[in-house]
Amino acid sequence: MVKSEKQRYIYFKILTENNYSLDQNYLLRSIWKSVWRFFGMKEANKIGLWLSELNLEVGYGIIRCSHLTKEIIISALTLIKEINGIKVILSPKKTSGTISSIKQKVK
Amino acid sequence: MSYFESRLPLNFDDFNDIQNRLNFCERLGIKNLILESQGKIVPLNLKKKIKIETKINIFYRINLRIDSVDEITFQLKKFDKISDILSIESINKKVQLYAAKDSRVDIISFSDTKILKSLTPGVISLTKQNNSFIEFSLAPIMESNKVLQSKNFRILYRFIHLANKLKANYIISGNFVDIYDFRHPRALISVCHTLLEIPLLSLKKIFIENPKIILEKVRDRNIEKLEDKMKIVKGGIKYGQK
Repeated sequence: MVKSEKQRYIYFKILTENNYSLDQNYLLRSIWKSVWRFFGMKEANKIGLWLSELNLEVGYGIIRCSHLTKEIIISALTLIKEINGIKVILSPKKTSGTISSIKQKVK
Repeated sequence: MSYFESRLPLNFDDFNDIQNRLNFCERLGIKNLILESQGKIVPLNLKKKIKIETKINIFYRINLRIDSVDEITFQLKKFDKISDILSIESINKKVQLYAAKDSRVDIISFSDTKILKSLTPGVISLTKQNNSFIEFSLAPIMESNKVLQSKNFRILYRFIHLANKLKANYIISGNFVDIYDFRHPRALISVCHTLLEIPLLSLKKIFIENPKIILEKVRDRNIEKLEDKMKIVKGGIKYGQK
Protein backbone atom coordinates (compact mmCIF):
# COMPACT_ATOMS: atom_id res chain seq x y z
CA MET A 1 0.00 0.00 0.00
CA VAL A 2 1.31 3.46 -0.87
CA LYS A 3 1.75 5.71 2.15
CA SER A 4 0.17 9.12 1.77
CA GLU A 5 2.63 12.00 1.88
CA LYS A 6 2.51 14.07 5.06
CA GLN A 7 2.78 17.81 4.99
CA ARG A 8 4.68 20.27 7.10
CA TYR A 9 4.01 23.95 7.68
CA ILE A 10 7.02 26.20 8.24
CA TYR A 11 6.56 29.58 9.89
CA PHE A 12 9.34 32.01 9.05
CA LYS A 13 10.13 35.60 9.95
CA ILE A 14 11.17 38.16 7.35
CA LEU A 15 13.79 40.72 8.35
CA THR A 16 14.72 43.27 5.70
CA GLU A 17 17.27 46.05 5.49
CA ASN A 18 15.67 49.35 6.61
CA ASN A 19 12.31 47.51 6.98
CA TYR A 20 11.88 47.61 3.20
CA SER A 21 8.66 45.91 2.05
CA LEU A 22 9.09 42.96 -0.31
CA ASP A 23 6.97 41.78 -3.20
CA GLN A 24 5.32 38.34 -2.95
CA ASN A 25 6.39 37.32 -6.47
CA TYR A 26 10.01 38.22 -5.83
CA LEU A 27 9.96 36.33 -2.55
CA LEU A 28 8.59 33.13 -4.10
CA ARG A 29 10.94 33.40 -7.05
CA SER A 30 13.95 33.74 -4.74
CA ILE A 31 12.87 30.71 -2.65
CA TRP A 32 12.65 28.58 -5.83
CA LYS A 33 15.95 30.04 -7.03
CA SER A 34 17.62 29.06 -3.77
CA VAL A 35 16.16 25.52 -3.94
CA TRP A 36 17.45 25.18 -7.51
CA ARG A 37 20.86 26.65 -6.73
CA PHE A 38 21.61 24.42 -3.77
CA PHE A 39 19.61 21.24 -4.43
CA GLY A 40 18.79 21.10 -8.15
CA MET A 41 16.06 19.22 -9.97
CA LYS A 42 16.58 16.05 -7.90
CA GLU A 43 15.17 17.67 -4.76
CA ALA A 44 13.08 20.46 -6.31
CA ASN A 45 10.57 17.99 -7.73
CA LYS A 46 9.89 16.46 -4.30
CA ILE A 47 9.21 19.66 -2.41
CA GLY A 48 5.56 20.47 -3.12
CA LEU A 49 6.07 24.09 -2.12
CA TRP A 50 2.97 26.18 -1.36
CA LEU A 51 2.89 29.62 0.19
CA SER A 52 0.01 29.33 2.68
CA GLU A 53 0.22 32.78 4.18
CA LEU A 54 2.33 35.87 3.77
CA ASN A 55 2.12 39.04 5.79
CA LEU A 56 4.68 41.51 4.53
CA GLU A 57 3.57 44.28 6.89
CA VAL A 58 4.18 42.27 10.07
CA GLY A 59 7.02 40.35 8.38
CA TYR A 60 6.19 36.67 8.45
CA GLY A 61 5.16 33.86 6.14
CA ILE A 62 3.92 30.28 6.30
CA ILE A 63 5.09 27.72 3.75
CA ARG A 64 3.65 24.26 3.19
CA CYS A 65 5.92 21.46 1.96
CA SER A 66 6.35 17.70 2.04
CA HIS A 67 7.57 16.33 5.41
CA LEU A 68 10.52 14.67 3.65
CA THR A 69 11.83 17.96 2.33
CA LYS A 70 11.39 20.09 5.46
CA GLU A 71 15.13 20.41 6.07
CA ILE A 72 15.73 21.32 2.43
CA ILE A 73 13.23 24.18 2.60
CA ILE A 74 14.73 25.45 5.88
CA SER A 75 18.20 25.38 4.28
CA ALA A 76 16.97 27.15 1.15
CA LEU A 77 15.32 29.88 3.28
CA THR A 78 18.47 30.21 5.39
CA LEU A 79 20.76 30.64 2.41
CA ILE A 80 18.77 33.48 0.85
CA LYS A 81 20.78 36.67 1.39
CA GLU A 82 19.23 39.15 -1.01
CA ILE A 83 15.91 39.66 -2.73
CA ASN A 84 15.81 42.16 -5.55
CA GLY A 85 18.98 43.85 -4.27
CA ILE A 86 17.72 44.18 -0.69
CA LYS A 87 19.52 42.39 2.11
CA VAL A 88 17.10 40.01 3.76
CA ILE A 89 16.89 37.23 6.35
CA LEU A 90 14.19 34.56 6.11
CA SER A 91 14.50 32.99 9.52
CA PRO A 92 12.52 29.75 10.08
CA LYS A 93 10.90 29.82 13.52
CA LYS A 94 8.65 26.81 13.86
CA THR A 95 7.51 23.79 11.92
CA SER A 96 4.32 21.87 12.47
CA GLY A 97 2.10 19.23 10.90
CA THR A 98 -1.04 21.34 11.22
CA ILE A 99 -1.76 24.90 10.18
CA SER A 100 -3.73 25.58 13.39
CA SER A 101 -0.75 25.10 15.72
CA ILE A 102 1.40 27.29 13.51
CA LYS A 103 -1.24 30.03 13.62
CA GLN A 104 -1.25 29.86 17.40
CA LYS A 105 2.48 30.59 17.29
CA VAL A 106 1.84 33.57 15.01
CA LYS A 107 -0.67 35.02 17.50
CA MET B 1 19.64 24.99 27.41
CA SER B 2 19.02 25.30 23.68
CA TYR B 3 21.21 25.87 20.64
CA PHE B 4 24.42 27.88 20.91
CA GLU B 5 25.85 30.42 18.53
CA SER B 6 29.45 29.82 19.55
CA ARG B 7 31.10 32.80 17.92
CA LEU B 8 30.00 36.35 17.39
CA PRO B 9 32.95 38.69 16.82
CA LEU B 10 32.35 42.12 18.37
CA ASN B 11 34.10 45.42 18.70
CA PHE B 12 33.97 45.97 22.45
CA ASP B 13 34.93 49.64 22.11
CA ASP B 14 31.64 50.50 20.39
CA PHE B 15 28.73 49.87 22.76
CA ASN B 16 26.06 51.01 20.26
CA ASP B 17 27.27 48.40 17.78
CA ILE B 18 27.14 45.74 20.51
CA GLN B 19 23.57 46.78 21.40
CA ASN B 20 22.54 46.71 17.75
CA ARG B 21 23.97 43.25 17.14
CA LEU B 22 22.51 41.80 20.32
CA ASN B 23 19.06 43.21 19.48
CA PHE B 24 19.30 41.61 16.07
CA CYS B 25 20.21 38.26 17.63
CA GLU B 26 17.21 38.60 19.96
CA ARG B 27 14.95 39.22 16.96
CA LEU B 28 16.30 36.05 15.36
CA GLY B 29 15.46 34.14 18.55
CA ILE B 30 19.01 33.17 19.53
CA LYS B 31 19.08 32.07 23.19
CA ASN B 32 22.76 31.36 23.91
CA LEU B 33 25.54 33.45 22.52
CA ILE B 34 29.32 33.38 22.91
CA LEU B 35 30.79 36.81 22.20
CA GLU B 36 34.31 36.96 20.87
CA SER B 37 36.91 39.53 21.63
CA GLN B 38 40.05 39.61 19.46
CA GLY B 39 42.97 39.34 21.88
CA LYS B 40 41.52 41.62 24.58
CA ILE B 41 40.04 40.81 27.97
CA VAL B 42 36.50 42.18 28.26
CA PRO B 43 36.23 44.38 31.39
CA LEU B 44 33.86 43.19 34.12
CA ASN B 45 31.80 46.42 34.13
CA LEU B 46 31.17 46.08 30.39
CA LYS B 47 30.06 42.48 30.91
CA LYS B 48 27.57 43.67 33.55
CA LYS B 49 26.33 46.41 31.23
CA ILE B 50 25.78 43.90 28.41
CA LYS B 51 23.97 41.51 30.76
CA ILE B 52 21.46 44.24 31.63
CA GLU B 53 20.91 45.06 27.94
CA THR B 54 19.80 41.63 26.75
CA LYS B 55 17.77 38.56 27.62
CA ILE B 56 20.18 36.25 25.78
CA ASN B 57 22.51 34.06 27.86
CA ILE B 58 25.86 35.64 27.12
CA PHE B 59 29.25 33.97 27.43
CA TYR B 60 32.68 35.24 26.40
CA ARG B 61 35.69 33.96 24.55
CA ILE B 62 39.04 35.40 23.64
CA ASN B 63 40.48 34.54 20.25
CA LEU B 64 44.19 34.80 19.59
CA ARG B 65 45.52 34.86 16.03
CA ILE B 66 49.09 33.67 16.35
CA ASP B 67 51.77 32.97 13.76
CA SER B 68 54.77 31.64 15.70
CA VAL B 69 55.53 29.28 18.57
CA ASP B 70 57.43 31.99 20.49
CA GLU B 71 54.38 34.22 20.35
CA ILE B 72 52.02 31.52 21.60
CA THR B 73 54.15 30.82 24.70
CA PHE B 74 54.20 34.57 25.47
CA GLN B 75 50.47 35.05 24.84
CA LEU B 76 49.41 32.02 26.85
CA LYS B 77 51.30 33.35 29.88
CA LYS B 78 49.53 36.68 29.41
CA PHE B 79 46.07 35.08 29.25
CA ASP B 80 46.73 32.52 31.94
CA LYS B 81 44.31 33.96 34.48
CA ILE B 82 41.28 34.72 32.31
CA SER B 83 37.85 33.41 33.22
CA ASP B 84 36.62 33.15 29.61
CA ILE B 85 37.00 30.58 26.86
CA LEU B 86 40.39 30.77 25.15
CA SER B 87 40.70 29.93 21.47
CA ILE B 88 43.71 29.89 19.18
CA GLU B 89 43.68 30.42 15.44
CA SER B 90 46.77 29.86 13.34
CA ILE B 91 47.84 28.73 9.91
CA ASN B 92 51.16 27.48 11.35
CA LYS B 93 50.93 23.74 12.05
CA LYS B 94 53.51 23.96 14.86
CA VAL B 95 51.35 26.52 16.66
CA GLN B 96 48.29 24.32 16.17
CA LEU B 97 50.11 21.32 17.67
CA TYR B 98 51.40 23.43 20.59
CA ALA B 99 47.91 24.75 21.28
CA ALA B 100 46.41 21.27 21.07
CA LYS B 101 48.90 20.02 23.70
CA ASP B 102 48.30 22.95 26.07
CA SER B 103 45.53 22.45 28.61
CA ARG B 104 44.88 26.21 28.88
CA VAL B 105 43.54 26.30 25.32
CA ASP B 106 39.87 25.36 25.02
CA ILE B 107 39.30 25.70 21.28
CA ILE B 108 41.54 25.46 18.24
CA SER B 109 39.74 27.40 15.58
CA PHE B 110 39.70 26.58 11.86
CA SER B 111 37.30 29.26 10.76
CA ASP B 112 39.02 30.51 7.64
CA THR B 113 39.25 28.26 4.55
CA LYS B 114 43.01 28.86 4.32
CA ILE B 115 43.47 27.79 7.95
CA LEU B 116 41.01 24.93 7.47
CA LYS B 117 43.18 23.42 4.76
CA SER B 118 46.02 23.10 7.31
CA LEU B 119 44.01 20.80 9.62
CA THR B 120 45.82 17.49 10.21
CA PRO B 121 44.84 14.24 11.96
CA GLY B 122 47.65 14.94 14.48
CA VAL B 123 45.88 18.05 15.81
CA ILE B 124 42.59 16.17 16.03
CA SER B 125 44.23 13.36 17.99
CA LEU B 126 45.89 15.80 20.44
CA THR B 127 42.64 17.71 21.03
CA LYS B 128 40.96 14.41 21.86
CA GLN B 129 43.66 13.62 24.41
CA ASN B 130 43.40 17.06 26.06
CA ASN B 131 39.59 17.30 25.95
CA SER B 132 39.80 20.50 23.93
CA PHE B 133 37.72 21.23 20.84
CA ILE B 134 38.16 22.03 17.18
CA GLU B 135 36.00 24.75 15.71
CA PHE B 136 34.61 24.98 12.19
CA SER B 137 32.93 28.10 11.01
CA LEU B 138 30.07 28.54 8.52
CA ALA B 139 30.93 32.12 7.56
CA PRO B 140 32.60 31.10 4.22
CA ILE B 141 29.35 29.55 2.94
CA MET B 142 27.58 32.93 2.94
CA GLU B 143 29.69 33.97 -0.04
CA SER B 144 27.68 35.55 -2.90
CA ASN B 145 29.96 34.28 -5.67
CA LYS B 146 28.66 30.83 -6.69
CA VAL B 147 32.08 29.42 -7.61
CA LEU B 148 33.72 30.50 -4.35
CA GLN B 149 30.71 29.36 -2.36
CA SER B 150 30.83 25.85 -3.83
CA LYS B 151 34.60 25.68 -3.22
CA ASN B 152 34.06 26.69 0.39
CA PHE B 153 31.35 24.06 0.78
CA ARG B 154 33.72 21.44 -0.62
CA ILE B 155 36.54 22.39 1.79
CA LEU B 156 34.18 22.36 4.77
CA TYR B 157 32.71 19.03 3.64
CA ARG B 158 36.17 17.44 3.36
CA PHE B 159 37.45 18.53 6.74
CA ILE B 160 34.25 18.06 8.73
CA HIS B 161 34.08 14.50 7.39
CA LEU B 162 37.73 13.99 8.32
CA ALA B 163 36.87 15.16 11.86
CA ASN B 164 33.84 12.84 11.92
CA LYS B 165 35.90 9.90 10.73
CA LEU B 166 38.48 10.45 13.48
CA LYS B 167 35.71 11.00 16.06
CA ALA B 168 37.01 14.48 16.89
CA ASN B 169 35.54 16.79 19.50
CA TYR B 170 34.29 19.71 17.48
CA ILE B 171 31.85 22.59 17.40
CA ILE B 172 30.41 24.54 14.47
CA SER B 173 29.92 28.25 14.80
CA GLY B 174 28.51 31.02 12.63
CA ASN B 175 31.26 33.62 12.96
CA PHE B 176 29.29 36.04 10.77
CA VAL B 177 30.47 39.63 10.60
CA ASP B 178 27.71 41.26 8.55
CA ILE B 179 24.48 41.62 10.52
CA TYR B 180 22.40 40.31 7.57
CA ASP B 181 24.46 37.12 7.48
CA PHE B 182 23.40 36.18 11.03
CA ARG B 183 21.32 33.02 11.21
CA HIS B 184 19.67 31.06 14.01
CA PRO B 185 21.73 27.95 14.94
CA ARG B 186 18.72 25.70 14.18
CA ALA B 187 18.71 27.00 10.61
CA LEU B 188 22.46 26.35 10.40
CA ILE B 189 21.81 22.77 11.55
CA SER B 190 19.54 22.28 8.52
CA VAL B 191 22.22 23.65 6.20
CA CYS B 192 24.84 21.30 7.69
CA HIS B 193 22.45 18.35 7.48
CA THR B 194 21.37 18.87 3.90
CA LEU B 195 24.51 20.22 2.27
CA LEU B 196 27.33 18.82 4.42
CA GLU B 197 25.58 15.50 5.11
CA ILE B 198 26.09 15.47 8.87
CA PRO B 199 23.47 13.43 10.75
CA LEU B 200 20.92 15.49 12.71
CA LEU B 201 21.69 13.71 15.98
CA SER B 202 25.39 14.54 15.88
CA LEU B 203 24.54 18.11 14.85
CA LYS B 204 22.43 18.53 17.96
CA LYS B 205 25.41 17.34 19.99
CA ILE B 206 27.68 19.79 18.14
CA PHE B 207 25.37 22.78 18.60
CA ILE B 208 24.03 22.06 22.11
CA GLU B 209 26.17 19.67 24.15
CA ASN B 210 29.72 20.46 23.02
CA PRO B 211 29.54 24.23 23.77
CA LYS B 212 28.07 23.29 27.17
CA ILE B 213 31.03 20.98 27.84
CA ILE B 214 33.45 23.82 27.02
CA LEU B 215 31.61 26.22 29.33
CA GLU B 216 31.58 23.66 32.14
CA LYS B 217 35.32 23.10 31.66
CA VAL B 218 35.94 26.84 31.93
CA ARG B 219 33.69 27.10 35.00
CA ASP B 220 35.53 24.22 36.74
CA ARG B 221 38.86 25.87 35.95
CA ASN B 222 37.67 29.12 37.52
CA ILE B 223 36.48 27.32 40.66
CA GLU B 224 39.89 25.60 40.96
CA LYS B 225 41.64 28.98 40.66
CA LEU B 226 39.37 30.44 43.34
CA GLU B 227 40.06 27.51 45.68
CA ASP B 228 43.82 28.01 45.24
CA LYS B 229 43.51 31.62 46.37
CA MET B 230 41.34 30.83 49.41
CA LYS B 231 42.94 30.60 52.87
CA ILE B 232 41.38 29.06 55.97
CA VAL B 233 40.64 31.71 58.58
CA LYS B 234 40.09 30.74 62.22
CA GLY B 235 38.37 33.22 64.55
CA GLY B 236 39.06 36.15 62.25
CA ILE B 237 42.80 35.55 62.42
CA LYS B 238 44.76 33.84 59.68
CA TYR B 239 45.41 30.25 60.63
CA GLY B 240 48.98 29.85 61.85
CA GLN B 241 49.30 33.54 62.77
CA LYS B 242 50.16 34.32 66.40
